[in-house]
Amino acid sequence: MHTAGIKPEETAGRLRTLAYFLFPVVLLAAVIALFLATDGAGLNVEPAAPIENLVFERIVLINGAIELHIRNTSPETIEIAQAAVKDMIVGFSALPARRVPRLGKAVVTIPYPWVDAEAYEIRLITSNAVVFAAAIEAASETRTFGGTGFLGFTLIGFYVGVIPVFLGMLWFPALRKLGRRAFIWLMALTVGLLLFLGIDAVNEALEVAWELGSPFQGVGLVGIGIVGTALLLDALGKGQSGETGNEEGKRRRIAVMVALGIGLHNLGEGLAIGSAYSVGEAALGTFFVIGFILQNITEGLGIIAPIVKQRPTLRFLAGVGALGGAPAIAGTWIGGFASTPILSTLFLAIGAGAVFEVAYEIGKLLKKGDGKEPMPLTVWSGVMAGMLLMYLTGLLIK
Amino acid sequence: MNGKMKTIAYPAFFCSFLILLSCGVEPKQEHAESGMGQTMSHTVAVAGSAEMAFMPGFRGEVDTVANGFDPMSILTDFDYGRVSTLPDGRTLREYELRAEIKQLEVAPGIMYEAWTYNGRVPAPTLRATEGDRLLIRFVNASPHPHTVHFHTIHPAGMDGVFEPVPPGGSFTYEFDAVPFGVHPYHCHVMPLASHISRGLYGAIIIDPKQGRPKADHEFVMVMSGLDLDFDEANDLYAVNFIPFYYDRHPIKIKTNALVRIYLVNMLEFDQSNSFHLHANFFNYYPTGTFLVAGEYTDTIAQMQAQRGILEFTYTYPGLYMFHAHKTEFAELGWTGLFEVEE
Repeated sequence: MHTAGIKPEETAGRLRTLAYFLFPVVLLAAVIALFLATDGAGLNVEPAAPIENLVFERIVLINGAIELHIRNTSPETIEIAQAAVKDMIVGFSALPARRVPRLGKAVVTIPYPWVDAEAYEIRLITSNAVVFAAAIEAASETRTFGGTGFLGFTLIGFYVGVIPVFLGMLWFPALRKLGRRAFIWLMALTVGLLLFLGIDAVNEALEVAWELGSPFQGVGLVGIGIVGTALLLDALGKGQSGETGNEEGKRRRIAVMVALGIGLHNLGEGLAIGSAYSVGEAALGTFFVIGFILQNITEGLGIIAPIVKQRPTLRFLAGVGALGGAPAIAGTWIGGFASTPILSTLFLAIGAGAVFEVAYEIGKLLKKGDGKEPMPLTVWSGVMAGMLLMYLTGLLIK
Repeated sequence: MNGKMKTIAYPAFFCSFLILLSCGVEPKQEHAESGMGQTMSHTVAVAGSAEMAFMPGFRGEVDTVANGFDPMSILTDFDYGRVSTLPDGRTLREYELRAEIKQLEVAPGIMYEAWTYNGRVPAPTLRATEGDRLLIRFVNASPHPHTVHFHTIHPAGMDGVFEPVPPGGSFTYEFDAVPFGVHPYHCHVMPLASHISRGLYGAIIIDPKQGRPKADHEFVMVMSGLDLDFDEANDLYAVNFIPFYYDRHPIKIKTNALVRIYLVNMLEFDQSNSFHLHANFFNYYPTGTFLVAGEYTDTIAQMQAQRGILEFTYTYPGLYMFHAHKTEFAELGWTGLFEVEE
């Protein structure tokens, strides 16, 4: 850009351009004003009944009380008038107030002698006589931040993220003995693992997304998470490859990218586990965690696959392992203590975008290797083996 | 933008987006509790405190002035009609019923569009003596067709079934007061469940010619439900329409006084209703059509439109519950108290 020496006619030209830009905007304002002035073009747009929506973002069970974190996703302010638990009208308090503005939040606290493992249906009735229900499948005390709760969540994150990733990486010496074909197969396997993880993450993201109130456009949020993350990782990868171009460095970078992608995915996974634990759903089975450990071993495999022909330092291996596994811990913290459906949706989508991008990177690497001696069936069977491996280990989780 | 700027700008955009989402739109602090429901101090103190007896019920009050009727006065509000004597010496009683829509605060803070006779639910308790000639002029001041269907003995044309009264129209029901007892009346226009549960129901008491033993207290109680969200399931239950009203405002009676309750079940959607009296037994006269009690008990059940008369006295002073013994109904509003005083 050159800003020096603007001539008067240039200024006039710019003003004209600005006017051209503003002209439709002014017209738009006029059209909206006309629409409002004519009472919605003569259509009576008053709804027959008040449109009210409410989303239960988080349910916290503490000793002798149930805490509902609600968000008003309707067009107007709503007012919580009464509450019922298990077909019983109960007293409650609402902070900051019973009146919740559009997109505003409130915490409704209901003193109630809930019992471990029982199911509860909670209903909130608004001043316009609209009823909203939330369900607790199996009540258990919500872990609170600090103390044993914090330690517990850290341990779960450690179990499902860090340990399996490092265990998977212990295959490193074994993998080094493999021939070229086996190596290609292994890379293809990694692609399969990642694709499966990505598809699964999209599904989970969408599941949470459907539950967001319509103003939050859950599916759009999933799209933003996936596209944004994938393009960002792509941009980051390209930005680096311009500096050092040798093959070894590239493969190391890919290993780092795989680890980062898997790490982001594990963050989303940890979030899901954390929030499930905090609302007592995961109390339905520790089998769940065992399943995750089995599945995530394969992630360690994926991280070391690109660098199996190299001699990475232990420090490097520890670094990529931590990058891939440790975010699960952060995920369980967020999920357990601060998760909202919006955050969950976004993190799951980010994880999906990350693993898709990494699968694409490894795919490119495979294609490059393909140039010398194509092995289409090796690639196919590798990808399939990866996806099936995830499917079978997934049987334990779902 | 060059490559470096892009790599910075993108995460920056993303982070700000995240922060925006996690903060959400914080509602402004509002302390106006507008007199609905319980106050803050109550519930804050209550969380985890052993002092909190986990009793169901509202902490707020409905605005009976704005509603235009008070469940306490409905208990004893009997409409004997405009009385005159016919040429044959019989008593003529003339009543007015007017169907109208009314926004009512049915529970503290909850507004509901009720369909009413004379602006109140339950409708006026019409009262006559066996054999009287009844003339009930019905005006429909609502935007829907309605009728009045009495559970008494009368000609087909007076049944409130085949002669729906259009908005703005009127109809006069004319029949003899038979048989004696307590009977419901309600609108009989389809869809019936909606017309009834919206509030178009009440009781008619026909006293036997020879009368009943003199009672110290006579109360009418109509049991019903409230389907707030129109999903064919009741969200709240009540006796005389306002849930928990007599729980918050105990009905005062005297020890050793004869209490007579005219009990009618107009509950829609649920199979049956019940009445349980605490720490006491009552004589139960099903439909009130015999002067001899059919049962001596503390709990009775009534299907839709079933009704009966309860008679009892309390020996000891104190607070006594009465409620549906279907606990769900009781905890969702069908609970009341008698305050027995010396």
